Amino acid sequence: MQKLGDFKLPHFFNYPPYFTLQPVRDTREKQVQLWKDLILDYCRTQKIFVIGLEEDFALFSNPVIERSLSHEAREAFLSALVSEGRAEWLDKGHRKCLILWHRVQDWADIIFRFVKDNGLEDSVMTVEEIRSGIESRGTELHGIDRTILMRALRVLEQKGKLAIFKGTSADDEGVKFSM
Amino acid sequence: MRRRPGIGGLQTAAAARDQYRLVGENVAKIRTDMMKEQLATFRTQLEEFARKHKNDIRKNPAFRSQFHEMCAKVGVDPLASNKGFWAELLGIGDFYYELGVQIVEICLATRPHNGGLINLQELCILLRRRKSDREAISEDDCLRAISKLKVLGSGFEVISVGKKKLVRSVPTELNKDHNEILELAQAQGFVTVEEVERRLSWTSGRAIDTLDTLLDEGLAMIDDGHRDGKRRYWFPCVSSNSTPVADT
Repeated sequence: MQKLGDFKLPHFFNYPPYFTLQPVRDTREKQVQLWKDLILDYCRTQKIFVIGLEEDFALFSNPVIERSLSHEAREAFLSALVSEGRAEWLDKGHRKCLILWHRVQDWADIIFRFVKDNGLEDSVMTVEEIRSGIESRGTELHGIDRTILMRALRVLEQKGKLAIFKGTSADDEGVKFSM
Repeated sequence: MRRRPGIGGLQTAAAARDQYRLVGENVAKIRTDMMKEQLATFRTQLEEFARKHKNDIRKNPAFRSQFHEMCAKVGVDPLASNKGFWAELLGIGDFYYELGVQIVEICLATRPHNGGLINLQELCILLRRRKSDREAISEDDCLRAISKLKVLGSGFEVISVGKKKLVRSVPTELNKDHNEILELAQAQGFVTVEEVERRLSWTSGRAIDTLDTLLDEGLAMIDDGHRDGKRRYWFPCVSSNSTPVADT
């Protein structure tokens, strides 16, 4: 079986017609389903948060069978993820896509657990610390995309679990947990 | 018989015919009785054989297939009923019913991908992957299980296309044109319109029509990604290694 790094690629990735958008509805639904699963799986294991449609992305072409996805196909698969709440377009032109292998709500739960596990219930952290600090090392939060993290924090803020405030530097924000 | 004149002659002739018939019937009866007796002996011995080699029949697919052949020759169908002596003795009925259920499951699971037509070889591979390895399954076993599925009237059928056997789980009727294309596709897993026209000497309308039908039935997939720019029609049912359901 073909591999990308340590990621095992599914069989269909080596079957050329899966790289052409299928015209028949049932066949296409199956095709879209397989690609959706593959994209989510791959992004989760490789910790990829943003896919650029016009950039080189490992899943968009398979040199072994000399096939690559057309722009239309890329957009179709990602749009399918968007419609399920597993992705979001970052721009109107649909050139960049945010991949939510955990939904925003799930990320909020992960933050909640992280805070509990580390006894940070009443602490203050900067957003940068959550992303790259010592506490989050080895957890899923380490290296998380900033946009997603901010969304998840807002979810918690709305529930009164924390407060977000402007930090000393203009581009960094702080979080006061109160769980 | 020499003909003698008068009513007496006719009566004698009739009586003689009756006698002959009686003798004939007797001989036939004795023959059938003997035959029945022989068959009965054979059956008992077959049963004894089955009892003795129970484990071999269960575990060894080649042995199992030979055993079935032997049974068929003497008119015994170990699969006819699940309550009969054979089923109790061998549990062989259960074996095939179980296999049948698994075949149905695999056919359903792969249907979105192959349109309800699956290569027998591939079906076997998927079956073996599901079973624990203590039980080996041969293509012969699959065929037997599928033949039992026919009574369900759900359109399970084995069709031969070229050298390959395909298992059909959808009621789609494949006509001769479809079959010819499937056969052609076996070489590379795909065909192009051009190839169909050339190899089968069809008009382009006929080729495109047939391919469109196969596409609509979900049996084919298009591929526009090749360098030469020619559209390829792939057939998941004839190419191995294309089934996405790896571990079910």
